[in-house]
Amino acid sequence: MKKRVVSLLLALSMVFGLAACGGNGDTPSGSESGNESGTEGDTDADNQGGTENGGATYTLNLAQSTFPTNWNPHEQQTSTDADLTYYLQEPFYNLDFNDTMDGYEMVPMAAAAEPVDVTADYVGKYGIQEGDTAKAWKIQIRDDLKWQDGTPITAEDYVISAKLLLNPVAHHYRADSLYQGNLVIYNAKNYAYSGQYAQTPMISENFGDDEYVDHDDFVVNEEGYFTTEDGKDVLLKIDSMGNWDPDNGMDVYHDAYPDWFQVDGVDVYTDLFTPNADADGYVKVNEEVYQALLNVVGNAQAGGLDAYVEAKGDYAYHEWEEICYYGETYPEMDFSEVGIFSVSDTELVLALENPLEGFYLLYSLTDSWLVKADLYEQCETVTDGVYNNTYGTSAETSFSFGPYKLVSFQADKQIQLERNEYYHGIQDGQYQTTNIQIDCVEEAATRLEMFLNGQLDSYGLSAEDMETYQTSDYTYFTPGDSVWFMALNPGLDALKAQQEAAGENINKTILTVKEFRMALSFALDRQAFALATLPTQSPGFALFSDLIISNPETGESYRSTDEAKQVLVNFWGLADEVGDGKMYATLDDAIDSITGYNLEMAKEYFNRAYDIAIEQGLMDEDDVIQIKIGMPNSTSSVYNNGYEFMVNNYTEAVKGTKLEGKLTFTKDDTLGNGFADALKANQVDMLFYVGWTGSALDPYGLMEAYTTNSYQYDSNWDTSKTSMTVNLSGTDYTASVLDWTYCIGGQEITITAADGTTKQYSAGTSDGVDEERFQILTGLENAVLEQYDMIPIEIDASAGMRGMQVKYYSEEYVFGPGRNGYQGVQYLTYNYNDQEWADYIASQGGTLNYN
Amino acid sequence: MVKYVLKRIALMIFVFFVILTMCFVLVKLLPLVDPVQFGKDMNLIKMRREALGYNKPILVQYGIFLKRSLLNNDWGISEALYRGQDVWQVFVSKMPATLMVNLYSLIFSVPLGLFLGIYSALKKNKWQDYVISTLIMLFISVPSYVYALLVQYLLCFKLKLFPLQMNSGTDYFTWSMFLSVIPAVLSLGFGSIASLARYTRAELSEVLTSDFMLLARTKGLTRAQATVRHALRNSMVPVFPMILGEFIGILSGSLIIEKLFGIPGIGQLYVNSITSLDYNFFMLLSAFYTLIGLAAGIVVDISYGFIDPRIRMGER
Repeated sequence: MKKRVVSLLLALSMVFGLAACGGNGDTPSGSESGNESGTEGDTDADNQGGTENGGATYTLNLAQSTFPTNWNPHEQQTSTDADLTYYLQEPFYNLDFNDTMDGYEMVPMAAAAEPVDVTADYVGKYGIQEGDTAKAWKIQIRDDLKWQDGTPITAEDYVISAKLLLNPVAHHYRADSLYQGNLVIYNAKNYAYSGQYAQTPMISENFGDDEYVDHDDFVVNEEGYFTTEDGKDVLLKIDSMGNWDPDNGMDVYHDAYPDWFQVDGVDVYTDLFTPNADADGYVKVNEEVYQALLNVVGNAQAGGLDAYVEAKGDYAYHEWEEICYYGETYPEMDFSEVGIFSVSDTELVLALENPLEGFYLLYSLTDSWLVKADLYEQCETVTDGVYNNTYGTSAETSFSFGPYKLVSFQADKQIQLERNEYYHGIQDGQYQTTNIQIDCVEEAATRLEMFLNGQLDSYGLSAEDMETYQTSDYTYFTPGDSVWFMALNPGLDALKAQQEAAGENINKTILTVKEFRMALSFALDRQAFALATLPTQSPGFALFSDLIISNPETGESYRSTDEAKQVLVNFWGLADEVGDGKMYATLDDAIDSITGYNLEMAKEYFNRAYDIAIEQGLMDEDDVIQIKIGMPNSTSSVYNNGYEFMVNNYTEAVKGTKLEGKLTFTKDDTLGNGFADALKANQVDMLFYVGWTGSALDPYGLMEAYTTNSYQYDSNWDTSKTSMTVNLSGTDYTASVLDWTYCIGGQEITITAADGTTKQYSAGTSDGVDEERFQILTGLENAVLEQYDMIPIEIDASAGMRGMQVKYYSEEYVFGPGRNGYQGVQYLTYNYNDQEWADYIASQGGTLNYN
Repeated sequence: MVKYVLKRIALMIFVFFVILTMCFVLVKLLPLVDPVQFGKDMNLIKMRREALGYNKPILVQYGIFLKRSLLNNDWGISEALYRGQDVWQVFVSKMPATLMVNLYSLIFSVPLGLFLGIYSALKKNKWQDYVISTLIMLFISVPSYVYALLVQYLLCFKLKLFPLQMNSGTDYFTWSMFLSVIPAVLSLGFGSIASLARYTRAELSEVLTSDFMLLARTKGLTRAQATVRHALRNSMVPVFPMILGEFIGILSGSLIIEKLFGIPGIGQLYVNSITSLDYNFFMLLSAFYTLIGLAAGIVVDISYGFIDPRIRMGER
């Protein structure tokens, strides 16, 4: 018996020793709590310990389904993280209501005034040359800007924070905010990369002729490898096809097209490239690899190098560079060489690599990189060369200079913020909210119950709630800027491979027939689809929604312009129906009539697609079409309902056509976050509810998402080979869709007139050709829509209810400030203070009626 | 016996390493897709991954992991779920909430389950037995999240007896915290009560009709004496390990109950660590649960000997 007791104790101590070990009783950073508040059932007033305002407190109670985990301004990645960051910081400039409350204007916040162009003062420095403008800007910082403990903030704090952000050891996620996009601080990237070995594609995606290097211009080093004159390595990467196809490895092409890799009877992929690849998959290019690459490209393009040279001339000797990379170790650099420095306590100068001015300059400064340097450095660790920083992961590691300060944070549970009394913006009519409490409540049903109990001041309506609350006086609809698409990737070779793998008489290649994709578009009842999936959404008919701003200086919506309306009308086949005496008197009338649903036309296109597929040998008469739809998971009601809707909708739509009984669907609902990649890799044939968000003020930049290979869902659409003609000042010019995309991004391209003459042309923000730039944009929108591989289905929108305790500043949603200004609290006011609110809830029996 | 336990522990360590190795290799074989983001400098992410050693061969990475975690007790930093934070500290900070709710649930459900099972067995084929058995079937058939939704809606929202969500903070032993976890405890407990009652009833009913029980009665023991001294002890052989199993199971938390009642515990960590490919979190949790599961097996095996002295472990 004694032995058994000893044995049991030994085993038990092992089990519970595991549970106890490692815990030293200290509160771990990142999961601090210390919250002494009462129960959820208690009134809000009971929970307050924050700042008093004339004896009364005003607590904004919110709930989120996900919680922030890292709101370090240098590291935050998600919008949930960013939401918390914005309470704790203040950008230089931000969007506020205009005087008439029907639009936005850019106003200084942490800055005291508009930036001043001081380019002329720095000629000869920071890459600035005589005559340059808009390349160096002085920002006057407010002299009353303070941290939450009252410590003044100086311009030098911004410089130190920028140095911390660009720390080359840290690889901070947001380091690129100082060099990627419009705002490119001089040498910021070089400093962030200093001492690092990095690879970049040899040829940028717009294939500029000046980027190609002749064979004789490469320097062969002592080991026989090619380098450039300035010492960059020339590399082939076997798990990528460079600009050709960055998402797929060379093995995919080797499996699909083994003939490409046969050079003089040798398989260069298996016998040359793979054995010479380093751990990261890079192969240094030497003469042997170069010759092999020439032949691989020749085989791929024309069945042999000689034939390709005959067809393309010198280009045949250069194209291999499009699938290769430069590798270089960036030199060590002192931070004083970076174009950000202070000239006084309140004056910060930003020296830029590219000119930037006007709205986009200010818009680039609507984020802040400022951190409390001493606390930040305490949070840094470097272990075995891996940098880590816990700044912005708990209340102790956060420091505010924004309107609120973080007083407690419990991971996945609760956040409590208190008004920062050192914040300069607290004044009459602004920031009445004294405290903000954010609970993590994952279930929508629970959030609704809390809202009805008066524990929350807002509630986002779900599909199930719409019937009950959509007509409530407290319900607000908020338009979104995103358009959601049905995405297809109709590449013939990949679809052939997929249909062979799927079995006999299974057909997928009909997806390459444009008429079939058009039929899919016309057969989708978008209104009914929204009701079945996300009832707050509205049908989408074009690439850009009403909220996309084409002229940020004036706030003009892209969709409100006649040119953009014409694109819509043309695309939906109404161009001949608009005008005096016709079906629609105006463009607006025609647009109002668009539903995107035309079953008759859809049936016609299904029949036509079938005939084309049979004629082209893409389909046999006894084939059954099988479309595999990709979904991120099996639990989302949006995707499950959407899938069911699609299946039923299209099964009905093909009835009475030649495809009746021949159109089937399967799904893969295991794709997780990589479901977009699954389409690009042709693992699935279709996605829905996909799209891009976050570029509402820059449709020109957003166009890259639809036309460049890095972002396109349809990786088979080669936009460099699709021509587009635009009328510029009365002359038609042609270039590729890809070139036009880069053109409106400010890059110079070659455009060709009808008579064959060419000219160099760019239409960036600083080229002074705004009208032409806009023309190109509308042309590109039309080109993308006409592909029918990104079929617009819905426009993002949401609906939510306002709690009775609070009062919104603007009844209408205004892009930028929303309804309540900065971070939704600046102008928010209250009908009741916390005590009055508790009394009111009690007087209503504890449950409020929002119907 | 001690020799037997030591042998089992040695085997346990071996199995632990096999499972750990498999977990590491399998999770590393999952494709780590480059997160394509519009306008993002992807080199920053690549350089970070390079520094983290993600580009090294898997076995080299495994060697680094073993050296770091098992020898230096450094389980690493979370790269996805709680970015920048020590995974062990996050795990330990979330464990108490899960432990508390599950412990309360066990304290509530074990006595009640045993009592109902015993009572039902003693009243076999009478109306009390029918009522209890019907309820048991009902509670076993219905998933716990259904009780949870009902409990939340009726007791918390309609009757306002309890808060809708567990309290925030770490004052786990206050009255208001206790009150706030009752809905979760009830929701977790119903299922356990039902299964315990069903097992106890079945085992006790069988034992009560055994020959040795008749012998005990003929020796002059009262029904109560015979039941307590002989029947109960024998019927506990399969039931007690089940209780132990549940006790150990409390360390894993409950995904749905934690979501519904706002319990900031560990219920969702394991699944989330896989879907977000947070390697360090996944390996810590794999190691922890593997070890707990293996150790629990030993404890359960040894416990048989205490309940029924006829059972001997490792003896010839």
